[in-house]
Amino acid sequence: MLNDFRYRMRALLKHKRVEDELDEELRFHFDQQVAKYMRSGMKEEEAKRTARIAFGGHEQVKEDCREARGTSFIELTLDDAKYALRQIWANPTFSLVLIATLALSIGANSAIFSVIDGVLLKRLPYAQPERLVRIFLHNSAYPKFPLNPWDFLDFRARNRSFESMAAFTRNDMQLSNEGEPVRLNGFRVTSGYFRVLGLHPQMGREFDFQAELPGNGQEVVISDRLWRTRFGGDRNIVGRKVTLNMQPFTIVGVMPPGTEHPGNDYHALAYGEDVDVWRPFTFQGNSNQRGSHFIEGIARLKPGVSIEQARGDMNAMMRQIAKQYSNDGEGWSVLVVPLSSEVVGSTRPMLLVLFGAVGIVLLIACANAANLLLARASARQREIAVRLAMGAPRLRVLRQLLTESLVISIVGGALGLALAYGGVRALVMLLPADFPRAHDIHVSGPVLAFTLVVSLLTGIVFGLAPALQASRTDPKQGLQQGSRGATASRRQNRLRSALVVAEVSLACVLLIGAGLMLRTFLNLLHLDPGFREDHVLTATLSLPLARYQSGAQTVQFYKRLTADLEQLPGVQSAGAGSDLPWTGYDENLGGFTIEGKKPAPGAEFHARYHRATPGFFDAMGIPLLEGRSFTEGDKYGAPSVLIINHAMAARYWPGEDVIGKRISFDDNPKKDEDWTTVIGVVGDVKDQPESVSAAPAFWWSEYQVSNTDMSIAIRTKSDPRQAADALRSTVHQIDPELAVADVKLMDQVAGASLSTPRFTFVLVGLFAALAVLLAGIGAYGVIAYTVTQRTSEFGLRVALGAQRRDLLRMVLVQAARLVIPGTLLGLVLALSLGRVVQTLIYGVGAADPLVFASVVLLVPAVALLAAWIPARRAARSDPMEALRNE
Amino acid sequence: MRFPLALLQQPRLYSCRSERGTPLTGSIDLPQGTLDLILLRTLLPGPQHGWAISERVQQVSSEVLSIQQGSLYPALHRLERRGWIKAKWGTSDNNRRAKYYELTRVGRQQLDRETEAWRKLAIAVEQVLEGA
Repeated sequence: MLNDFRYRMRALLKHKRVEDELDEELRFHFDQQVAKYMRSGMKEEEAKRTARIAFGGHEQVKEDCREARGTSFIELTLDDAKYALRQIWANPTFSLVLIATLALSIGANSAIFSVIDGVLLKRLPYAQPERLVRIFLHNSAYPKFPLNPWDFLDFRARNRSFESMAAFTRNDMQLSNEGEPVRLNGFRVTSGYFRVLGLHPQMGREFDFQAELPGNGQEVVISDRLWRTRFGGDRNIVGRKVTLNMQPFTIVGVMPPGTEHPGNDYHALAYGEDVDVWRPFTFQGNSNQRGSHFIEGIARLKPGVSIEQARGDMNAMMRQIAKQYSNDGEGWSVLVVPLSSEVVGSTRPMLLVLFGAVGIVLLIACANAANLLLARASARQREIAVRLAMGAPRLRVLRQLLTESLVISIVGGALGLALAYGGVRALVMLLPADFPRAHDIHVSGPVLAFTLVVSLLTGIVFGLAPALQASRTDPKQGLQQGSRGATASRRQNRLRSALVVAEVSLACVLLIGAGLMLRTFLNLLHLDPGFREDHVLTATLSLPLARYQSGAQTVQFYKRLTADLEQLPGVQSAGAGSDLPWTGYDENLGGFTIEGKKPAPGAEFHARYHRATPGFFDAMGIPLLEGRSFTEGDKYGAPSVLIINHAMAARYWPGEDVIGKRISFDDNPKKDEDWTTVIGVVGDVKDQPESVSAAPAFWWSEYQVSNTDMSIAIRTKSDPRQAADALRSTVHQIDPELAVADVKLMDQVAGASLSTPRFTFVLVGLFAALAVLLAGIGAYGVIAYTVTQRTSEFGLRVALGAQRRDLLRMVLVQAARLVIPGTLLGLVLALSLGRVVQTLIYGVGAADPLVFASVVLLVPAVALLAAWIPARRAARSDPMEALRNE
Repeated sequence: MRFPLALLQQPRLYSCRSERGTPLTGSIDLPQGTLDLILLRTLLPGPQHGWAISERVQQVSSEVLSIQQGSLYPALHRLERRGWIKAKWGTSDNNRRAKYYELTRVGRQQLDRETEAWRKLAIAVEQVLEGA
């Protein structure tokens, strides 16, 4: 066995030497035979001739020896491959076009598939992620509402469906005394949170039940990244004391790298490995107060329990709880959804559309490949016929043709893979800012396999058919003069034309999709946001409660800060608000009374609530429509005031003058102090750019109803970036231990919200352009080929008096016969697929006439352009040339 | 009478298509194993080159068996691949470079095995021809 292997290896590696030795051996035998004949009396010439006859075909003996060596398969394949490479080199344009076509489409496919794999298909990095679910409250107005802590405790204690249950809520913390103060992304979590996910700290431990009790919980678990960057990977990290939010905490554990946050719905979204610190959630206050809802639930199903069963269980408990505490239980149910659909849910339609688009491109590319290979096979019929006539076994010829197309498709696939690597990187950079699991995206095993399979299949399938056909040609036919295999070619022509029609229609579909995306994007771009995003610098501040215990201290801070900021050179106005547009919101549910109005039965007055300092609206460029903005006079002790937006005015005081109207946040307002007066109306700002309309919202004056966490907005006269350092130093002058976080330009923030439609548009546009290019190439190929076929016919026509014009017209008509049905077919296809893109478009219908009309004009124009070159060549036919070619 | 041993390919001088396995009239088709046996046995006395092997077989079989080059060399290479003979380049009687083949130990064992098998076969066939 080993000897066999060694022998074969030697035969392969020292191929030339082995061949030479064989040659020498056979020659020796031959000479000895000749000598023997000569000894028996023959003359040299005759001896040689006899020996040659007896010897048989020299080559054949060698061939048999080669086979006996056992390496013939590999040797033949190598030969075929070398031949294939020579052929490729000999026809550079053809090969290049084919390889480029395959590479581009395989590359694009692999890139998109990588994204889909990373986002949709790959398992979440938790133990048995399919058993993890998220828990929300649900009613008709609020499909996904967070939970109340005491409700959660009841759920956890009484449920029968879950192995374990945990809750979390966003709680960023400020780290100080370890270098520059920095704001860390953090969450409060109930005990066992990591266990639910199936994660374990790499050092130390996670929180136990004790930590949930009020008064406890001055401990934290930190992330691997924080451990390495801020604490230098200190081996004695467990037990170390740190200052967070100006208070002492003990580090009790460190999570391993790759600990991903499962996403949250309420408050600003944290992603993947962005979370740096976890602290225990303590249950405080009155367990009968079930009004405020702000924690998010996650749980692990017991083995064998389905989501429906869990949902039923939870809803039964919900009803029990509602009965016990007899408030807000009306109309609420519990929503239990798998974690995986939560994490990626909203991106699924977009990704599937992209996958469809890129699949279309692949189809077109394969059709092109088929076309090209067919054309080449028929062009080489003569060569193949000659080889068959010379005695080459049909199988060998077939094998060679197949090897050629395999080599091309493998080269194309390899190039495509390289493109895919680059493409995936580019895609990840282009991705919308908050795209889920973006860091999970890279070219992976399944993608590689997919690429390989696709390229091999293309080579085999599209090389096989023409190869089979070509090798089946009767050599006689192929060798006949002037024959281009008329019958076979006609059938082939029909096939090729059909392929081009298909390509054109698919390209149309993609173009229409791209057009719709473009219009969507432009629509969104030109929406009036309701504020002015240029020249605005923003940042967020979080005042630690330890230092800012009373409202007065907070007010003092922000008053001083905004005053100082407005003094800075180049600053037009500065203010602080509880949130920036398009970055999330809070709710106030049915907490207020409107003077003189009653809510509809069963409904409540509700609106978004925010806080702002006087300069905030000006800094953000939100127009004041009526009344006045806040002043420093609107402070503690002064009459409560409110600014509302236009939507709220229209909703609750339609047609009335709203300034001076009053609202109360007390259940039973009696005195004047219980009422809050509306002093101004500002313009609407929608939740998201594509939201249908703005929700009713109001602002409290920060100096009356203060909040420690605020966003700062500074409007500058010139480049806002230059104000960043000044902002930081101004803050630190007032409080040196405060971290200034999320320093961004407002147009960056605003731009980020457009990133999904932009991303979709760019990609679909790219694919559409690619599709049009490929379809154009396909059309060119077919027309050029038919022109070549009809050269003699054209020459004859010219000889008979046809004008150049006529020939041109003939070819263009032929092209039109391909393009027009293709376009029509494409339009029909696009109409039927309209529903698919419905969720992705905005401000334009799926059958938008403008888009359809432009495509109807564009596609035929491109195709006719592609047909122009061969048409001109036809028009220049010289009858003498043509007839000579016969 | 000489019976050329035609095992594989015929010389292609007389047809346009490649066809395999059609023997010239008057030749005996021997199975591969038997040819191997003959070659191994011929090498028992000592190393020889291909030409010498074919001459020797012819001599010893009283000119009945004549191995064509088209069968000889593929067979020799096959045997070499199986490890039953090994090859070495040397100088021939008339000072030419020639490839000499030699039995290996494993080859010797194979020779014994095949001889045994052949003898059994021959006796059995003989018995059938006599008795049945």
